[in-house]
Amino acid sequence: MIRVEGLTYTYPFAGQPALRDVSLTVAAGEFVAIVGANDSGKSTLCYALTGYIPHHFHGAMLGSVQIAGMDSRSTPLAELVTVAGLVFQNPVNQISGARFTVYEEVAFGLENLGAPRAEMAARIDEALALVGLEGVADRSPYALSGGQQQRLALASILTMAPQVLVLDEPTAQLDPLGSRDLFAAIHRLSRRGATIIMAEHKLEWIARFADRVIALAGGQVVLDGAPREVLASPLLEQHAIGRTRFTQVAARARALGLTSSDALLPVTLEEAVDFFRPILPKAINA
Amino acid sequence: MTLYIPGDGFLYRRHPVTKLVFMLCVAFLAFLGPGRWTPLLIFLAALLPLALFSGLVRPYGGALWRILAPLAFFLFVLHGLFNPAGRTVLFSVGPVAVKLEGVVFAALMTSRLLCVLGASLLFVFTTPPSALMLGLAQHGAPPWLTYVIGATLQIIPHMRARAAAITAAQQARGLETTGSLRVRARALMPMVTPLVLSSLVDAEERAIALEARAFRSSRPKTSLTELADPPVERVARQACVVCTLLLIGAGQWL
Repeated sequence: MIRVEGLTYTYPFAGQPALRDVSLTVAAGEFVAIVGANDSGKSTLCYALTGYIPHHFHGAMLGSVQIAGMDSRSTPLAELVTVAGLVFQNPVNQISGARFTVYEEVAFGLENLGAPRAEMAARIDEALALVGLEGVADRSPYALSGGQQQRLALASILTMAPQVLVLDEPTAQLDPLGSRDLFAAIHRLSRRGATIIMAEHKLEWIARFADRVIALAGGQVVLDGAPREVLASPLLEQHAIGRTRFTQVAARARALGLTSSDALLPVTLEEAVDFFRPILPKAINA
Repeated sequence: MTLYIPGDGFLYRRHPVTKLVFMLCVAFLAFLGPGRWTPLLIFLAALLPLALFSGLVRPYGGALWRILAPLAFFLFVLHGLFNPAGRTVLFSVGPVAVKLEGVVFAALMTSRLLCVLGASLLFVFTTPPSALMLGLAQHGAPPWLTYVIGATLQIIPHMRARAAAITAAQQARGLETTGSLRVRARALMPMVTPLVLSSLVDAEERAIALEARAFRSSRPKTSLTELADPPVERVARQACVVCTLLLIGAGQWL
C-alpha cells in the first residue's frame, strides 16, 4: 500500500534533514504505529506518507514515496488526499469552518469530491457511527469537546473513503477519556481491515492495538518490528522514547534478580500478568 | 456567530440570492432614488410589511431602535446645530440655534440609514449563513468566497475566546491591562502579538485540513442540501433590478 525508498527530507531554511534515508513498506490492512521522541521526524514522515511533502512543504526531498501505487511527487495533492487521509494533532484546526453542523462538516469532503447527493447520507451516517458521534450530528463543530472534535476530524476523513489513514499524534491534546474513545474508534477501523499509520506517544495503547511498531530517532528508523519486540527493547530508553509501565516494572524485577527468564519483557497488561505469575510469591517476599 | 432567527414566514421561503439582490437594490434606492421621501416610503411600504409577514416585527423593531436611535440623535444634534447649509432658525436656546436645513438633512440621512439597516436586518434575520453560502455557490460564486463567509462567521467567536485566554495568561504574569490609556496602550503589544502569531500557525494547519478535505479538488463539487430556486425567484430578482434602475433613472431625470 505504501512504499518509501531512501527518503531524506529537509525543511526550507533548516540546517539538518528531518528525515534521513528512510525506507519502509506498509501492507494493506496493517496497523503501523510510529513512535519517537519530539523532533524525531514522526510528523514529517506522516506528511510525506500523505503527499503534503513535497506538495505543501516545499523543502528538499530525496528518494521516493509510493501511495497506493501513485508516486507522491508526480501526483497532484488533490488526488493523493483521496487515497491517503490525514488526521493531525490539533482538533480545532481540523474543523473546516465552512459548515455549521457536525453533519454538514462530515459532508464537506464529500461535496468537494463531487459525491452524488443520494450517496452522502449513508456515508455520513456510517462515518459518524464508526466514531460514535451519531448523537451530536446537529450540533456546531465548535460546541464539541476536544475528544469529540478529534473524532469528528476522523469521521470527516473516513467519509472520503481513503485507502490509507495516517494519524499524527491524534490524542496529543485529548484527556484520558477522549484518548480512550478515539483509540476505540481507530481499533474498530483496524478490525474492519483499514490500513492505519499512527504516530503516537501513548505506548500502552499502541502495544494493545498495533500490528507493528516503527521507532524513529534523529529522522532515522532505529527499530521496526512486532510491538513486543520494539516496545520492550532497551534501545527505546536510549532514544528518549520511554517504555510502557509494564515493561518498566518487569525490567526492574529482572534487574533485582527476581527472574532469570530471558523472555521478552511484557508491553501489555496481559503480558505483564503472564510475566509476573511465576515470580509473584518471590516478589512479595522481596 | 449569526443573527439568524428561526422561522417560516414569507421571507424565510425566499432564495437567499433573491433577498441579497433585494437588499442591495434597497440600499441603492435609499441614496439614488427620486425625491426625499423615497427611503421612508420604501421602509413603510415594503420593509415593514415584509417584517410583518415574516413574523419578525418585535425583534425587527427592537434591533432598529437600538442601532438607529443613538445614530439619529447625534445626526439631529450635529446637523441641526452645525450644518453649514443651515440658514432658517427653528428655535434657539441662548447662543445655540437649531436650523431647519440641518434638521431636514439629518432626517434624510436617518431615513436612508433606516432603509439600508432595515433591509440588511431582514436579510440576516431570515437567512442562515449556510443557506447564503449554498445559494451563492448555486449561482456560480467561487468556493473560496463562500468559504471566507462561513469561516469568518465561525472563527470570530473562536478568536474572541483565544484573545480572552491570552489576556488572562498575560495578566497572570503581572501585565496591567486596566488603568490609564498609557497603561492599556503598553499592554496592547503583549496581547496582540501572541494572538497574531498563533493565528498564523492556525492558518497553516487549517490550510492542511482543507487540503485533506479535497477543497482544491478539480472535480465538480456537489452539495449535501438542495436549495430550490424556482422561476418566480428569478423573475423577482430581475424585477427588483429593473425597478431599481428605472427609479434611479427617474431620480436623475426629475
